Amino acid sequence: MSAAAIQVRDVSHQFGEEGETRHVQALQDTSLDVAKGELLCLIGPSGCGKSTLLNVMGGLIAPSTGTTTVSGKPVRGPMPHDISFIFQENALFPWNTVLENVVLGMTFQGVPRSEREDRARRALEAVGLAEFAQHYPGQLSGGMRQRAALARALSLETDILLMDEPFGALDEQTRMVLGEDLSVLLSQSRKTIVFVTHSLGEAVFLADRVAVFSARPGTIKQIIEVNEPHPRKPEFMTSPKFHRLRDQLYGLLHDEIRKAMTESSQARRRYGDKDAAPAAEGDA
Amino acid sequence: MTTLAPAVTAPKPLTLRVRRWFLRHPAAARLGVVVILFVIWEIAARFFVDPNFLSPPSRVIVSIDDVLATQGVPQALRVTFYELAVSFVLAVVLGVILGLSIGLGRFAHRSFMPIILLLYGTPQITILPIFVLLFGIGPASKIAFGVSHGVFPVTILVAAGVQNIKPIYLVSARSMGASRWHILRHVIFPHMIPSFFTSMRLAMTGVLLGVLLAELYVSTAGIGYFTSVFTQDFDPTKLIGLVSILAAMAVVLNEVVRRAELHYGRWRS
Amino acid sequence: MTAGRAKGWNDRTLSRLVQLGFAVVLLLAWYLAATWGQVSHLLLPNPVEVWHQFIGILASGEFLPDLRVTLTELAVAFAISTSLGISTGYFVSRSPYAIKVFEPLFAGIFSIPIILFLPLYVLFFGLGPASKIALGATISFFPIVLNTIAGFGNVDRVLTTAARSMGASNLQMFRHVLLPAALPVVLAGLRMGFTVALLSIIGSETIASLAGLGHRIVNLAENMDMARMFAYIAFVVAIAAFLNAAVSALEARGRR
Repeated sequence: MSAAAIQVRDVSHQFGEEGETRHVQALQDTSLDVAKGELLCLIGPSGCGKSTLLNVMGGLIAPSTGTTTVSGKPVRGPMPHDISFIFQENALFPWNTVLENVVLGMTFQGVPRSEREDRARRALEAVGLAEFAQHYPGQLSGGMRQRAALARALSLETDILLMDEPFGALDEQTRMVLGEDLSVLLSQSRKTIVFVTHSLGEAVFLADRVAVFSARPGTIKQIIEVNEPHPRKPEFMTSPKFHRLRDQLYGLLHDEIRKAMTESSQARRRYGDKDAAPAAEGDA
Repeated sequence: MTTLAPAVTAPKPLTLRVRRWFLRHPAAARLGVVVILFVIWEIAARFFVDPNFLSPPSRVIVSIDDVLATQGVPQALRVTFYELAVSFVLAVVLGVILGLSIGLGRFAHRSFMPIILLLYGTPQITILPIFVLLFGIGPASKIAFGVSHGVFPVTILVAAGVQNIKPIYLVSARSMGASRWHILRHVIFPHMIPSFFTSMRLAMTGVLLGVLLAELYVSTAGIGYFTSVFTQDFDPTKLIGLVSILAAMAVVLNEVVRRAELHYGRWRS
Repeated sequence: MTAGRAKGWNDRTLSRLVQLGFAVVLLLAWYLAATWGQVSHLLLPNPVEVWHQFIGILASGEFLPDLRVTLTELAVAFAISTSLGISTGYFVSRSPYAIKVFEPLFAGIFSIPIILFLPLYVLFFGLGPASKIALGATISFFPIVLNTIAGFGNVDRVLTTAARSMGASNLQMFRHVLLPAALPVVLAGLRMGFTVALLSIIGSETIASLAGLGHRIVNLAENMDMARMFAYIAFVVAIAAFLNAAVSALEARGRR
């Protein structure tokens, strides 16, 4: 078996100190292997630590305990040559055009100046934004902005793509279309993708495997396999296999979601209406 | 069928068209208001007010030449303009340096910003006499007082522009391997630019206030000398003329900076 | 993005200490410069001397006539600008067209330092309080009228529609919908108008006056009575701070 692209071993993470009101155990003893070239979805109730795990994988957070290895190397900080990120909140710099944004990512990574513009234009073509290169993010729709963010990530030519609810702020129709595009991309490029989502349908449609999280303190409850080749066709979404997998996911998640909701309303009562249990992830 | 109120003659097409045109062009209506005000001024000054106290605009406009011909006035105006320019540049440069130093460090911001805000809130006019005692009656005191007014908005806004960056931009840049220098130059700096141009507009307002206040205060040289002389001579024509020239200078300078702000703040919308 | 902020508490006290230290160092530097430095005492009085003068002024009550002049000018000017500003602002706000015509006009005039017209006012009204009142009223008119226009002009359409659908009369609409909705913005305008009136009155007293606090400071400067002048400056700054704080507090109460 080829070495896993990402190896997570016994990672736990807490925010705040024990005994503080702000203390929360975001992740508990989580271990995971992400195979090269697969699309793995992380799904779970609010506050279960899936975004935290993603940030740990990408070197943006140093976990309280445990280790992470990426492409055989231990993770000690951001690894811009191996990993690129796409965030839910739009991270395109509003003062730059789309093209300038993509070029800037390569500037940060250290790509030689002569290559930057070509690679940028190719990436924009790949996501269908070639005519919008000179537009500012403020002039684009939400879906187009995320496509631009994807182009920026692609232009960095990393083996691994970490995506934190990238389609979360978009309407359902845009999500479906972008999901199909992502599937096509995956089939063409053999990148390894870890994808955090709330949407059951999205998880089944996109993933090779889905890791289901328990409520806080989060740990991986079960991993489900979706044996369906990429690129996924739209018809897959209406197939009996799809429904079966989706129902299976729902069955696993339902209790965890209820548990998470009770816990959050308890916390609200205890600490008042403010952001009581500090969000380990950016979800409502 | 009962008839309603007696028929009203339809308004003449011309008046209707004129009204409609004005409705579509509020700027023209505004100009109209200004014209009306000037007309009132003209009538009041000509027929109702002692000519020792007020002069009609017609006479003022015609006598602008006399004002400029008065010995020393053009020099005073030139010196004032020079003071405004120097104050502005100094205020902006100092303000940016201070603003960046305070804004870039969270601790520095917490410690020093309240001090700056406190100083900004005190009525500086009370220490104008000290400025003049310290720097003399020449341009130095006017420049210093102007800088003293203009430096605060620049410092405050530049510091705010640096502090208010959405964390996601910094996280994203870091994830792509940006060094600290990269972040400063490609994230913090461009983010701060609209605030910078807004602050320039406020700096100009402050500098105008400071310099002109100082000029008016010093009645032995510069503009203040002439306003003093024209007042004592009961010469409203020349006085209004001089003040109008200064007001025009202020409007032009303000407008220049305002345009720059609009142009460079583009990405904000 | 990482873990514990347990030192957040210490951060705040530390910055307070820095501020305190800053003030102490400043005072110390002043004292040393005045006592042993080369600075002429015609320029920088001894802080101890200033303190004595300050106490003396307060004790003897010699500040009262000047304070009365300044405060009277302020009160009258503010009363004028408030009544004119709010009524004008309200009537302009009733018509979107009027807003489009007048608002840029007012904003444009306010953008230049109106104190520039002080000599004209002095020529017309003389050196007495009348010119200060007139100029103060003129200058403070603008923030008040602009904010009143904004406050009444930007009342959420939804609210007026709902009230009208329930049969509200014009008077009821004003009292129960428009006024409360516009109040925060209008109060902010009043606070700005007050601050600006105070500054312009002290300013005009400094430049051309026979009485009042601003004049007193200039007078002392001309007589090179430095310690007393510094004391008066401190006094005026304190009064201004107090008045501004009072007005801000009133504004906050009005917002409640």
